[in-house]
Amino acid sequence: MRNLFAQMNLLSKLSAVWMALMTALAVFGWLIPLPDPREYDPEASAAGLFSPGHLLGTDAGGYDLLSNVVNGARTSLLIAFISVGFGGLVGSAVGIIAAYRRGRLDYVVSTGFNILLSIPNLVLGLALVAVLATSSDPSVPIASNRRVIIIIIALTVVIIPILGRIARGATLTWINREFVVAARSMGMRDKDIIVRHIVPNVLPAIYSVLFLAVGVVIVAEGALSLLGVGVVDGVSWGAMIARVAGEFTYAPQSMYVPVVVVALTVIACNQLGDFLRGRLDLREGRI
Amino acid sequence: MAGSGTAHMRNNDEVVLGVRDLVVEFKIGRGLVVNAVSKVSFDVCRGETLAIVGESGCGKTTLGKAVLQLPPPKSGDVVFEGTNLTKLPKEQLRSARTAMQMVFQDPISSLDPRMTVMALVEEPLWIWERGTEEERGAKVRELLNNVGLDPDLVLNRRSYEFSGGQCQRISIARSLALEPRMLICDEPVSALDVSIQAQILNLLQDMKDRYGLTMIFISHDLAVVKAVSNRIMVMYLGKVCEVGSPDAIYSKPAHHYTSALINSVPIPDPTRKRGAVPLQGEPPSPVAPPSGCRFRTRCPAATELCAAEEPQLREVNPGQYVACHHPRT
Amino acid sequence: MSAILSIRKLVVNFETPRGLLSAVRDVSLEIAQGSSVGIVGESGSGKTVMSRAAMGLLSGSTVRREGTVMFDDKELTAMRADEVRDQFGTGMAMIFQDPMTALNPVRRIGSQLSEGPRVRLGMDKKAARARSIELLSLVRIPDPEAMLNKFPFQLSGGMRQRVMIAIALACKPKLLFADEPTTALDVTVQAQILQLLSDLRREMNMSMVLVTHDLGVVANHTDFVAVMYAGEIVEQAPTTELFSNMKMPYTEALLKSIPKIDSASGARMAVIEGRLPDPTDRPSGCGFAARCSYVQDKCRTEHPPLVDAGNGHLYRCWYPLGHTIGRK
Repeated sequence: MRNLFAQMNLLSKLSAVWMALMTALAVFGWLIPLPDPREYDPEASAAGLFSPGHLLGTDAGGYDLLSNVVNGARTSLLIAFISVGFGGLVGSAVGIIAAYRRGRLDYVVSTGFNILLSIPNLVLGLALVAVLATSSDPSVPIASNRRVIIIIIALTVVIIPILGRIARGATLTWINREFVVAARSMGMRDKDIIVRHIVPNVLPAIYSVLFLAVGVVIVAEGALSLLGVGVVDGVSWGAMIARVAGEFTYAPQSMYVPVVVVALTVIACNQLGDFLRGRLDLREGRI
Repeated sequence: MAGSGTAHMRNNDEVVLGVRDLVVEFKIGRGLVVNAVSKVSFDVCRGETLAIVGESGCGKTTLGKAVLQLPPPKSGDVVFEGTNLTKLPKEQLRSARTAMQMVFQDPISSLDPRMTVMALVEEPLWIWERGTEEERGAKVRELLNNVGLDPDLVLNRRSYEFSGGQCQRISIARSLALEPRMLICDEPVSALDVSIQAQILNLLQDMKDRYGLTMIFISHDLAVVKAVSNRIMVMYLGKVCEVGSPDAIYSKPAHHYTSALINSVPIPDPTRKRGAVPLQGEPPSPVAPPSGCRFRTRCPAATELCAAEEPQLREVNPGQYVACHHPRT
Repeated sequence: MSAILSIRKLVVNFETPRGLLSAVRDVSLEIAQGSSVGIVGESGSGKTVMSRAAMGLLSGSTVRREGTVMFDDKELTAMRADEVRDQFGTGMAMIFQDPMTALNPVRRIGSQLSEGPRVRLGMDKKAARARSIELLSLVRIPDPEAMLNKFPFQLSGGMRQRVMIAIALACKPKLLFADEPTTALDVTVQAQILQLLSDLRREMNMSMVLVTHDLGVVANHTDFVAVMYAGEIVEQAPTTELFSNMKMPYTEALLKSIPKIDSASGARMAVIEGRLPDPTDRPSGCGFAARCSYVQDKCRTEHPPLVDAGNGHLYRCWYPLGHTIGRK
C-alpha cells in the first residue's frame, strides 16, 4: 500500500488523502464534539463560515454545517460503499459467468443488463425507492434506518448492470485467449478456470470502475434527496442539499458547503479510479 | 480430393490414436455454417510424429483441438489408447485429457500473464493433486531444466518478461508436467524467429525421445514439417489430400495441391530460377465449398469428374495415399 | 546511377525508463534507382526501426535520431514533419506486415484507395474511381468494381495485402518500402504477392526495399541484400555474391538454421545458441560474439568495422568465413 501511494502523482495523492479523511469521518466522526446535526437553532441561523461555534457556518434553520458534513459522511459513504460493493460483487459475478458460459444464459443476462441500463440511473433509483418505501399507513413515514436500507437496495440494483457489463466485456476478451484453452486441455474444471484465470485478469477493469461508481452513487443519493425520496431527516450530504434547496440565497454557504464536499469526493474517486486504471493498463500494455 | 477415405488407416496394435470420419462445424450467424473439418480420418502409431500440413483455413488447428474434444466434434470417433473420447462422460474425459497435451501457437497468449512461471508449470500438477507442494516444486525445476531454462532465473517471473522462444519453452515444460503419452503441437514455431525455431524444434525432438512421446505436429510450413515428421498428412479446406512419408511426398507429390505447396516455398539460393507462380487465386470459402473435389477450382488437372464425384483416398505408391481422380505420376 | 535513397550513419536511440535503448547504430546504405534491396534480420535486429526512421515515420518524444537520410537528392532528415509528409505517396510509399491493422476497418476499400489520388494528385471523384479500378486490376484482383464497395474484414489476408499494395502504388511512388509484406500470409499466397511485387516493380520502374527475416524471400526477389544484427549491418552485398561468397558467420548460421525443403527428414536442425544482446546494454565487442561458433578473444573486446571485400560486398567480422584462425 505504501509504495502504491508513493507512485501516485500529486492529484492522486490528494485524492487518496481526501478519501481517507472522509472515510475516517464516517467511521469516527461521531466522536468529535460537535453540535447535534439535527438541532434546530434559529438564533444561530445563517451564520457564515468560521463563525464562533460553527466552523462551517449554519443554514437558515441554524443547523451546523460542519456537524452535518461529518455525520452525513457516515450515511452517504455507507450507502455508497455498500451499494457499490454489493452491486459490484453481484454484477461482476453474473457478468463473468454469463460471458464464460455464453449461449442462452449470456443472452438473457445481457438483455437484462441492457434493459436496466436503458433506464436512467436516477429514474430507476426513484422508482425502486418509491415502490419499496411505501408504508401501509400513508401518514406514518418510514423509519430513517429503513429508508437508508431501501436506498442502498435501490442503488445496488442500479450498480449491478453497470459493473456487470464491464465484467462481461472484460471476460469476453479473455476467454478466447489460448491459456484458457490450455487450462481446459489440462483438465481444469470450469469453475477453477474462472476463479484462477479469468477473475484475476478481469479484476483490474472492475475495480477501477468501482471507484467511479462510488462517485456516481454519492451524486445519485444527493439527487434522490433533492427529489424528496432520499434520506429525509437531514443527516446525509444529499439531505443537506435537499433541505436548503428552496431558499439558500439567505445563507449561501449552506448550499456551497455540501456541494463542495460532494464534488471533492466525486473528483477524488474519479482520480483514484483513473490512477488505478492507468497503473493496471501499463501492465496490460506489455502483453 | 476427399477425407471420406480410410485406405490409409493402419489398423494394427501400434496405433495409439485413431480418428474416423471427424466432422467439425461452426455456426457463424445468419444460418451460415463453416465446414471446418469434413469427415477426416487418420491414425498415429506409437512413437510416430504425424505432421498435419495445410494453409490457414484448411482445418488443421480445428482438427487438433477436436481430437482433444475442445470443442467436441459434431460427429466422428476419436479413439485414444482404446477409449473412444467422443463417447466419454465429462468427468472421465477430463481425466483422459491428462494423457494428451497440447502446445499452442502463440507462446505469449498461451500463458496467463498474471501467473509466475512456477505457478504456470505447476498448474497441471495442482489440478490433479499430484505430489506434495515440495514434490511439485522439484518436478517443476526438473521440467524447466529439461527445456533449457535455469529455474532460479525464471521461477518468479511472469510471461511478459520473456521472449517468444522462452515462453514456448515454458509452455512445453508445462505440457510435459503430467507426463502425457501424446503431444499435439499446434504451429509451435510459427510465431518465432528463424534462429529460435531451430532451437525449439530440436527441443521438441529431445523431449519426444526423453519421454517416449507420440506427436502430432500441425504446421503450414512444409520445410519445418519435413525435418521433424515421420508421416505427413496434407489438408485442404477441411479434407485430406495426401498421406505418406516425407521423402515420398516431397520427392514425388501425387496431389496437385501438395506439389503447388512444395513449389511455393522460397529457396534461399539465388541461382535457382523461379518458375511461374505455382498456385493462383485464393481458397474458396469454407461456408460453401466446391462440390466434388474441393481443390478443383484451382487445380490444373481438373475435369468434369472432379466436380461430380468426391475422390477417395487410395494407395498410389507403397505407403503413399492420395485423394485425387488424376494424381500426378 | 544515383541512389534513390541514401542512408548515412543513421543512429536511432530510444529513451526508456531502463536507460538508453540502442535500436540502430551507425547504419549506412545506398539504394540504387530501380533496384530491389533486401534487409534481412530477426526481430530485435533493428530493421523495422531503421526502415521507419529512413522514411521519416519515427516520431515521439523518446526518439533520438542522428545521421542523414537523402531521398531523391533531398535531405529528408532536415525537413519538417509536413515536408516529409509531402514525400509520401508520390515519392515513397510503404506496405506493412499486417494488412488488417494497416487498413481502416470502417472505411470501404474504394474510399481508402481513392484518398491518395484525390489528396495528392488532385483528381476529382470520377477520375479517382477510375484510377482505383485501374489499380485493383494492376494488383490482379478479380472483379475490381465489386471490390470497391467492400470492407477490409470481408477480404482474406492475401486480398487485403493486394489492396494495401494498390493503395501504396496509387500515386506512382519512386520507392516502395515493404515491411515484412508476406510474413503473415500463407506460403502459396506469399509466392503470388512476391511475384506481383517483382512484376510491378519492373513495370513501374520503381525501387523497392524489402524488409524480412526470411533469407529465402530475398534470394529470389532482390538484387542486393543487407543483413542486420543487433542494430547494425553486419554484411551487405549483391544477392548472388552474398549467397555464393558469404563472409559473416551470422549470415551463415542464419542460412543453416532455416529448415529446408530439400534437407533430409528427421535430421537435427543446426542451431544458433543463445539470444540477441540486450539493446540497453550492448556488448563492447562484436554483437554476435556470444553466439558465434568461431569466436576469438578479439571479437569480444573490439568492435569490428565494415571491411570491403570488393564487388560491393561489405562485412563486419574479424575472422570471416574462409579465415583459417579459429576453424577446426
